[in-house]
Amino acid sequence: MIPKPLQNCGKCGLCLNVCPVYKILKQEQTSPRGKLQLIKAYDHNTLASSDLLKDIVSKCLMCGSCTASCPSGIDHYSEFMEMRKKMADVQGETLAIKSLIYLLGREYRLKFGSGLARTGQKFVPDKVAKTIKLGNIPLKNFPKLNSTPFRNANDEIILPYKKQIGTVLYFTGCATNYLYEDTGFAFIEILKHIGYKIIIPKDQTCCSIPLLFHGASDKALKNIITNINALTNNEADAIVVDCSTCGEALKNEYPRIMENQEQGSVEAIKIASKVIDSLSFIDQHFDLLEFDPNVTDKISVTYHAPCHTRNSFGSNTLAEKLLSKLAFVNYKQASDVNECCGGGGTFFYEYPEVSKKMVDKKIKNAKAVQASLWITDCPVCRMNLSGNLDLDDKLKVIHPLTLIHSALKQI
Amino acid sequence: MLDIQIKNQFINILGKDRYLDRIEELACYAYDAFVVEALPDAVLFPETTAEVSELLKIASRYKIPVTGRGAGTSLCGASIPIRQGVVLCFSKMDKIIEVNTRDRYIIVQPGVVNADIQKALLPFRFFYPPDPASMNTSTIGGNIAMNAGGPRCLKYGVTVDYVLGMEVVLASGDIVRFGSRNVKDVTGYRLSSLFCGSEGTMGITTEAILKVVPLPEATRTLMVTFDNLDNTAKSVTDIIGSGIIPVAMELMDKLTLNAIEDSANLGLDRNAQGSLLIEIDGVKEACEKEMNKVIEKVRQNGAIHIQEARSDIERENLWTARRSAYGVFAKLAPDIVTEDVTVPVSQVPLMIRQIIEITDKYGLKVGVLAHAGDGNMHPMIPADKEDKAEWEKVKSAFSEIFQAAAELGGTLSGEHGIGLAKAQFLPLVMNKDSIDFMKKIKRVIDPDLILNPGKFV
Repeated sequence: MIPKPLQNCGKCGLCLNVCPVYKILKQEQTSPRGKLQLIKAYDHNTLASSDLLKDIVSKCLMCGSCTASCPSGIDHYSEFMEMRKKMADVQGETLAIKSLIYLLGREYRLKFGSGLARTGQKFVPDKVAKTIKLGNIPLKNFPKLNSTPFRNANDEIILPYKKQIGTVLYFTGCATNYLYEDTGFAFIEILKHIGYKIIIPKDQTCCSIPLLFHGASDKALKNIITNINALTNNEADAIVVDCSTCGEALKNEYPRIMENQEQGSVEAIKIASKVIDSLSFIDQHFDLLEFDPNVTDKISVTYHAPCHTRNSFGSNTLAEKLLSKLAFVNYKQASDVNECCGGGGTFFYEYPEVSKKMVDKKIKNAKAVQASLWITDCPVCRMNLSGNLDLDDKLKVIHPLTLIHSALKQI
Repeated sequence: MLDIQIKNQFINILGKDRYLDRIEELACYAYDAFVVEALPDAVLFPETTAEVSELLKIASRYKIPVTGRGAGTSLCGASIPIRQGVVLCFSKMDKIIEVNTRDRYIIVQPGVVNADIQKALLPFRFFYPPDPASMNTSTIGGNIAMNAGGPRCLKYGVTVDYVLGMEVVLASGDIVRFGSRNVKDVTGYRLSSLFCGSEGTMGITTEAILKVVPLPEATRTLMVTFDNLDNTAKSVTDIIGSGIIPVAMELMDKLTLNAIEDSANLGLDRNAQGSLLIEIDGVKEACEKEMNKVIEKVRQNGAIHIQEARSDIERENLWTARRSAYGVFAKLAPDIVTEDVTVPVSQVPLMIRQIIEITDKYGLKVGVLAHAGDGNMHPMIPADKEDKAEWEKVKSAFSEIFQAAAELGGTLSGEHGIGLAKAQFLPLVMNKDSIDFMKKIKRVIDPDLILNPGKFV
């Protein structure tokens, strides 16, 4: 039986102009409205499965901009996720995506895989690394993997520098754990500085978003339950994330998915209500930050608003507000600050020709404001933006936490 | 499916990437914002006038129906390929050719999105007035084909009032150009009036010279509520009767206000029977004077609450409330039907009463929205298309609403167009000779009837 959605797509077309993929390709089947039409036809058995159908459904950044702007309140995000699962089941997945799912499905595999990759990174000669590309990004431009996974490098419980004002659970996400430890260390320092006790639950694992996007919902469910168990803690006042995609999963997807499970969604809802992205958290505690009076040189900064920061937390304007409040920052807004960069999880790898057009435009507009730091609070955006800049480019991409931490007064 | 030979001829012109005919692709060109669907045989994406001309020559030779499309936001089914054939989609022919605010015009290709024109003009402090609700998505080619309007057209006029010149490809493939860069131009027929609003049945616009105007110095926005819908409507006629033409005067009834408040919590007055969102613009001092007059008029009509936006954010909030009306109603049922009958302003109170009586009779829910200043009504009926009995009621109700509008000296459509939606109702407002006259013109310009066939003419 086909569950009838409460709302039909009214086909008003308002999703077209917010869809980053449609804006590049300008063909209706690449738009959210077109995809919904195809999903409906497939569900009603008037359209058969095909490689083309799978390709059309996959050619989406899962940025959520369509959902955020839909006047009929359609949840494209969930519709697309379900369709991706159906397509993966019927049409199969490519080897690269299958491997990714295999890795993300178990934390120990991920740890082992990253260890192997790290060894690989050391042994690939520079000359080769320059020529091998993943999507548009030359291998040499990929971030070096953390020498020790971030969660292993830290104690599970970390106490604040000053009087404790509360307790947070830190959901690090895979990116901070394996790639961008600088973000994690900066966040811990800031939290200690504010006065929070930090718990980094050891048992947490991949948030599951990449699995859900690629139709591996069974594997995803295992991770979700693992994370719910790891994050269920009455002591915690908040669950902080430094990646808004992980945050989106914890906040929106977990309660939705658990609703249909035996275990129920009570804990998931409790967790969801505590989830907060790093920028919102810092904004709430801004008055408790003490900045180093010796940091007087102004640094020019521009910002890239990740889609999930914008669509799931609405904290993109907050980021700009925060940057403007920092005395040592000269904030320069790029004209397309809210446009998608084309990273989109594995999108940059699967559809490099579309992604390239998007990222090139972002780079052009960021350079036009002549900033020296490009701030973004999503690891995939960071990888995509920095990966498409030259290694010796003057413009450097970092997480806002690193910037804020760099100017804090030593306690 | 097109004959392989014809297909190859199209591909020779466009290349493979700009020719679509696989079912997964065609299915996405079967619809627009109206409720009917029909699959085309192929979708073509021209990028130049020369390509359009070549494509139409082929279509003419083989008598293949051609339906133009921009972003597919038509509310009357104008871009649905009801007789199959090819869809000529202009989404990739989207260059702004020239911005010239000194001479007050902008030259664009048909696929340029309305909002992108506004963006291009903003740095010069100019704007292009027609503002259909779909402006963030809809293309200028479609705006011209449908002679699109919008809230601020009350003061500024509709699309045809801004078309200075056009380049049009006829069914034969001939390329005709008329009008010019001049605001004053009486050289030859004013053919823009023929093509603008022809809904793609006369020719295909490939370039347009549009008049643009300077942004006003000041804008003032007011939200007024009433405890009586008749008084709400009467305020509209009184304000216009006093010699003030606001930019917009948007009317919402109680049901609409409450539906918005349920979802957005903007602090609207839930007990109000009707409300008006009034905006005036111009020189600062003139605005002040007009604003006082407007307030005087609404007070005379028993306004219970008058709220002026004190900042851009407050102004934006008021407009957000108004713009969210459609979406809020769309959430009340799986489908929503909205039409745009238009009556002389003096008949607005009567028309509103009739809309409510008719929908009450059929037991349907209705939200009454109107660009009241120009009599352009937007009754919105939420319903379920799958519920056959209910759907029949919706159809009957609209049929009676059209009839009522005609009797009040009104017309079928103020801004959405006729398309598939209202073709059968044309005789309500046009006599046989007039309809035949349109058909004669059509046959002279498009003898094989290949351009957007199956529509109103």
